[in-house]
Amino acid sequence: MSTARAETARRPPRLNWRIRLRRDKSLLLMTVPAVVLLLAFNYLPLFGLATAFQDYDPLVGVWHSDWVGFDQFRQLFADPLFWESMKNTLYLSFVQLILFFPIPIALAILLNSVLSERLRNFIQSVVYLPHFFSWVLTITIFQQMLGGAGALNLFLRQHNMGVWDIMTNPHTFALLVTGQAVWKEAGWGIIVFLAALAGINNELYEAAAADGAGRFRRMWHITLPSLRGVVVLMLVLRLGNALSVGFEQFLIQRVAVGHDSADVLDTFSFYYGIATGNYSYGAAAGLFKSVISLLLIWGANRLAHAFGEDGLYRK
Amino acid sequence: MSTALNRRTFVSAAVSIAGATAMTPLLSACGGGSQHKTGANTAQGLKSALPAYVPSTNLKADIPSVAGGPDAATDPGFLSYPASPVATVSGVPGKGGSYTAVTPLWGTVPPVGNSFYQAMNKALGVNLTIKPADGNNYNTIIPTMTAAKKLPDWIQLPSWWDSNFNVGELAGTQLADLTPYLSGDNIKKYPNLAAIPTAAWRVGAWDDKIYGIPSFSTGFAIAGTTFYRRDILESRGITADQVTSAADLMSLGKELTNAKSGVWAFDDVWTYLFTFFGAPLNWKVDNGKLVYKYETPEFLEALDWHYRLANSGYMHPDALAGDFANAATRFYAGKVLISGGGTGGWNLSDYQSGTAANKNYRRGSFNAFAADGKSTPQFYMGASTSILSYLNANLKPDQIEELLSVANYLAAPYGSAEYTMVNFGVEGVHHTRQNGVPTFTDEGKKDAQPTTYAFLASSPSVISNPGADIVTKDYAAWQAANVKNLVKPPFWGMNITMPQEMATANAAQAVEDTIKDCYHGKKKVSDVQAAIATWKTNGGGDRFTQWMTTNVLDKYGTGQ
Repeated sequence: MSTARAETARRPPRLNWRIRLRRDKSLLLMTVPAVVLLLAFNYLPLFGLATAFQDYDPLVGVWHSDWVGFDQFRQLFADPLFWESMKNTLYLSFVQLILFFPIPIALAILLNSVLSERLRNFIQSVVYLPHFFSWVLTITIFQQMLGGAGALNLFLRQHNMGVWDIMTNPHTFALLVTGQAVWKEAGWGIIVFLAALAGINNELYEAAAADGAGRFRRMWHITLPSLRGVVVLMLVLRLGNALSVGFEQFLIQRVAVGHDSADVLDTFSFYYGIATGNYSYGAAAGLFKSVISLLLIWGANRLAHAFGEDGLYRK
Repeated sequence: MSTALNRRTFVSAAVSIAGATAMTPLLSACGGGSQHKTGANTAQGLKSALPAYVPSTNLKADIPSVAGGPDAATDPGFLSYPASPVATVSGVPGKGGSYTAVTPLWGTVPPVGNSFYQAMNKALGVNLTIKPADGNNYNTIIPTMTAAKKLPDWIQLPSWWDSNFNVGELAGTQLADLTPYLSGDNIKKYPNLAAIPTAAWRVGAWDDKIYGIPSFSTGFAIAGTTFYRRDILESRGITADQVTSAADLMSLGKELTNAKSGVWAFDDVWTYLFTFFGAPLNWKVDNGKLVYKYETPEFLEALDWHYRLANSGYMHPDALAGDFANAATRFYAGKVLISGGGTGGWNLSDYQSGTAANKNYRRGSFNAFAADGKSTPQFYMGASTSILSYLNANLKPDQIEELLSVANYLAAPYGSAEYTMVNFGVEGVHHTRQNGVPTFTDEGKKDAQPTTYAFLASSPSVISNPGADIVTKDYAAWQAANVKNLVKPPFWGMNITMPQEMATANAAQAVEDTIKDCYHGKKKVSDVQAAIATWKTNGGGDRFTQWMTTNVLDKYGTGQ
């Protein structure tokens, strides 16, 4: 209690809103376009959520479609395919968290230790590049290289070494998509960590080195603790997005491994909602996913605060 | 037509959905709402509404049409373009009215008010503003117009999207009833429209009334067939008539596959082959009882064969990986030698692409055969057209008559003066004659080549591939050899609007997904049987069959 009171006492007195408006008006003005975009493309379409409680007919529109209450959700929860795609989503998310999440951090630390500026820039450009490829292109490259008729298997076949089924094996699909994600996005993911590394005071390293700390002690006691804030922030965001593992990647490879291995919540909404004209069903699946995501992000943020980190915002 | 089909070759996964909907043009879904009428036509009511058929005698085809069963006939083939095109319309059809028309376009939109549009307006005697809209997004563009009740005066609605547009409900509310102008002998006022076969008019009929004006109608409407590389197979002494059973086809797989050099015999063939096993396209009437294809033993037999094919090593690995987008490239490159496909792909541009990869390229198709080698081979007929245009319900009678006169001009037969104008523009400006063949100038390529007016109305399909007579001859000969095998499936040419629940059951997404996994070798036939059992009870399958029985079969019959 007393500390809380002390903190309140330390805060500067709240200024009148008119004074604050005058003080911040140029800043506020600069955020207007972003706010308008956000309103138009993120908040306005939220009204479409109403279709999840309707038997939506595009011809008569949202206003005149029949209201059915929670019917769509009742159907959804009784649908084994929905739970199957839920399971896939969580499993893929978990695999990616374990195998993908640490890689950009490691890459960033490695890259940071490269002294030659030219070499560093070169490596950076090379690892950023795949991020700008579309999923269609990425998967085509994988197919050309590792597919049944790709370079690897053609070589194996010509040397009578059998074939290695990588692209169409449902059992290793989680590893395949994580591998694709690493190839495409890991390089791009290092940006935020590089920025955090650039913010570390060099004097800390010099002082530690003077005290006789080796390379690994410096990494353990200086680099990693300095990165902790941003790592936790990224983790919170990642957990909040646990139910969004991607869409195109699975849409394109769905036929290759079969629908029961590749269907995630987003492809479920697409195939069993939009593609069959059953919009309300797809909207219900989407809304359910959003609500769970919101809870996840809230929980992860609470966890971050409990560990004394900032999380998404300072408490 | 081939341009209309290209829209499906974008993302492999999306393709299969579009393909599946295109496969079942007979059954279209409505979005639900409060009205749950089926929109189906009665045999008697439709008969009195349908227009008379008066074939055109203007031009003699080099390869005449061959008749098959009822409503089945081959498309006439033309090897040369008439040197001096005959006029079929006297005077100017229009009376100077101003109208707008919206058509889907798969290609580059021509400039607004270009010289071709101007020349067409002059020839038509109306001020018709053509507004082509992106074909790939057409199914999402149009519902915004219908929701706001702001349809243009004239609009093209491809029938494979009938359910997206809910044409059954639009008919009579936003689309004009053309029955008073076209039924029976009334159509004789528009001789070129009268030359469109009756079967095509059925596709645009709802509740016993005529709404749609058909383009590119054909008497040889099938979903597709099994193609092969004729040049390569014949060089090995294999001809199409040697394949008369599924076993023959499978043994070709062994003979033709050479995986070490990257050649596999087969691409995907399921879609156009499963009916050869005796499975119905959708429905079968067994002792007066309606049976869906999933519940027939023949369907499971077809699945079993395809499952074995997928695991035989005779199928290209990329096809098994669902890479549909590159199927044509694989076929041209000779990496696969047998592949299923729509008949629309057997044309000049296919020949040009194929011969660019290999100068000996020649496409061929197997004839209809029964998988067991004993039963009667058959191809199920689809609707006679999938391209229909509609007039706005707000138009006044004399405006409708004016636009029907314009449609009559647009539907002038192949090789006529009007046909030349609509398809090639003005000679000397948009096209020139090279070896007698109208060939686009640069201006013509930009303004007149994109398919615009022909999507509003056009004469029945012909086979004509100027510069590649071999394609015309091959395709016409194949049609003639198979026209006798064309049969109508139950509910042929009937437009059925169904409530959302039934449409979802009809789509049977979970079953279709498992079927795809099965013919790609990932799921066993027993897995499909399990999916079908779930569909019957939880997926609305049994209710769907019941609905079709009481609402369609009992009330309207099978439409044959």
